[in-house]
Amino acid sequence: MDNKPTDTGTERAQIVDSLTKSIIDQARPHIDPNTSPDELEKTAAQIAERINFEANVALSELVTRYSIARPQAAVALQEPMFNRFGKNFRAQHMLMFVSVILLIITGMPLKFPELGISKFVILHLLGGIQNSTLIHRVAAVGLIIVGTWHLGYIALSRMGRTDFLLMIPRPRDIRDFIHTMLFYLGRRSSGPRFGRFSFIEKFDYWAVYWGMVVMIGSGLILWFKEAFSKGLFDIAREAHSDEGLLATLAIIIWHFYNVHFNPDVFPMSWVWWHGKLSESQMKHHHALEYAEIMNAEREALLKEQANKQKTEAQS
Amino acid sequence: MTLKAHRAHLYPIVLAATILAFAGSVPAEDKCLVCHGKPGFSKVEGTGRKINLHVDQPALLKSVHASRLCTDCHIDVVAIPHGVAQKVNCRRCHYSGNPVGAPQGELYDQYAHSVHGMAVVSGNPKAPVCQDCHGTHDVLSPDSSGSTMYKLNRPATCGKCHIEIYSTYRESVHGTALASGILDAPDCASCHGEHNIKKHLESGSRVSPEHVSETCSGCHGPVGVASKYGIKTDRTATFEDSFHGIAHKMENRTVANCASCHGFHDIRRPDDPKSSINPANIVKTCGRTGCHPEATPQFVSGKIHVDPTNKESGLVYYITKFFTILTVGTLAGLFVFIVLDLFRRAKKARGAK
Repeated sequence: MDNKPTDTGTERAQIVDSLTKSIIDQARPHIDPNTSPDELEKTAAQIAERINFEANVALSELVTRYSIARPQAAVALQEPMFNRFGKNFRAQHMLMFVSVILLIITGMPLKFPELGISKFVILHLLGGIQNSTLIHRVAAVGLIIVGTWHLGYIALSRMGRTDFLLMIPRPRDIRDFIHTMLFYLGRRSSGPRFGRFSFIEKFDYWAVYWGMVVMIGSGLILWFKEAFSKGLFDIAREAHSDEGLLATLAIIIWHFYNVHFNPDVFPMSWVWWHGKLSESQMKHHHALEYAEIMNAEREALLKEQANKQKTEAQS
Repeated sequence: MTLKAHRAHLYPIVLAATILAFAGSVPAEDKCLVCHGKPGFSKVEGTGRKINLHVDQPALLKSVHASRLCTDCHIDVVAIPHGVAQKVNCRRCHYSGNPVGAPQGELYDQYAHSVHGMAVVSGNPKAPVCQDCHGTHDVLSPDSSGSTMYKLNRPATCGKCHIEIYSTYRESVHGTALASGILDAPDCASCHGEHNIKKHLESGSRVSPEHVSETCSGCHGPVGVASKYGIKTDRTATFEDSFHGIAHKMENRTVANCASCHGFHDIRRPDDPKSSINPANIVKTCGRTGCHPEATPQFVSGKIHVDPTNKESGLVYYITKFFTILTVGTLAGLFVFIVLDLFRRAKKARGAK
């Protein structure tokens, strides 16, 4: 998940840089000469960054609204893309959804055995409950692999560790949530700006985390029931059945709204496949992360220029 | 009413016609009883078997056929002395639309397709015909306490042939209850059916793996009679909700049904040491080959029929409640969020125009 923008990112950093300089030049005659130049530049850079940000928003807004081609296509053509999910993470997601879909298909009919469709799925589609329970166990192994893999990923991989730390809920998330609600109710003119993970994404992540623990834990008790007591079996069965339904409904209602039926992405967001977000998506949904990336980019550029000047002066 | 009225008209006509047609040669009732009325009247077959030919007239006169003539049933006897009389065919009168008002219906057809009827057709000499269960000259209405088919007498009647099953059943919870005069307790026919009785493995049988749980639920289900005796009636509902019940619904017949654990003819109270579900025996019952051979006492400890919606079920009840609240709460929250989000989008779209 390295967030390197493409070449246009460098170009933009240059714009911010010259804007900063021009702001300082124009302001200099009116400024107390004792002000530290570092502080001056920092403040100016922040303002320049904001101006550039708003200018970019205006640009993409215009391109989106008055594009010659289909609006979304026009944005996609012109915009740089940001890597959001790395290969490893996307592979985890793929194994996960294949497993979960199989688990739901083979599990839900047993939650609602009196429905005609349940009988159809188990008897005619899968050829009997002996097949369906076998498929359920195979898919369960898939899910257990994903769980273990992810734990390894957040412990051992650098990106996994960074992302996991960013996933931990913070007081800011509560403020963001309240802000969002106020925005929805018309009390705020705009929604909150999010970092790499919004409170919504954090909710999704931890909901899956909870679901994995409950489903795998109770599922293993059901699988190896002879090693446990009937009392524990009953508890595991109830939890497995209820959490299974909750997870299924959450996926169908919430996750599908976010990645399929939401007007922004309908019929489907392709991030799960290519792992990329467009610049306007970054600015809309992860404004703070975007600003951070841009700042880092600009600082790197300034450093490079300073080094260049240094080497030139030396020669 | 009409039938009775008809009967009143018919009797003299039928009687007169019979007498006229066979006048002089047909033995009247009295004539039959000259020989058959003697106690001990019998003959010895070639094989040495003694056959009782005595007709107990008082019993006959108490039977449902009191007003019939001997020759109404023994139609092949037309002169005295007569040869070996054929077995009486009850269907001569007991058929749909018969003019003498004999009870009829589909029973005879049902019998013809039953395990007993089929055995008769296939030539099994031991297979029962009507008389074997209902009696001969002494046949009474099944509601009459003297009838071989009266509920309290039925097990013994079936036991004439199914003697081993009868002795097992007699000791079971159902058998002892019936013997103590509880007429709600099941006799053989309560589970197996009557004229339509089928082989127990046939899918049409009421006690086949396919249907046995429905049959038990007749009494042990929500509207069952068992509640009258303080026996729980959630047994079939909890079975249906269990994995066994669900697999059963999915037409898998290898999973346990009621009889797999509780037995059938030998069903006993759980506190009976001989019961298959007595704590001392349940590990063996669950651990049967093909079921849970790895079963341990720990595995079978605790209630088997659990209703998660019942507070008595303990922790399971609270887990159910917890997940209900969690699910409803989460989904309601997410739903509101989606609606608000769409609402904002709609507002923005209107504003943009």
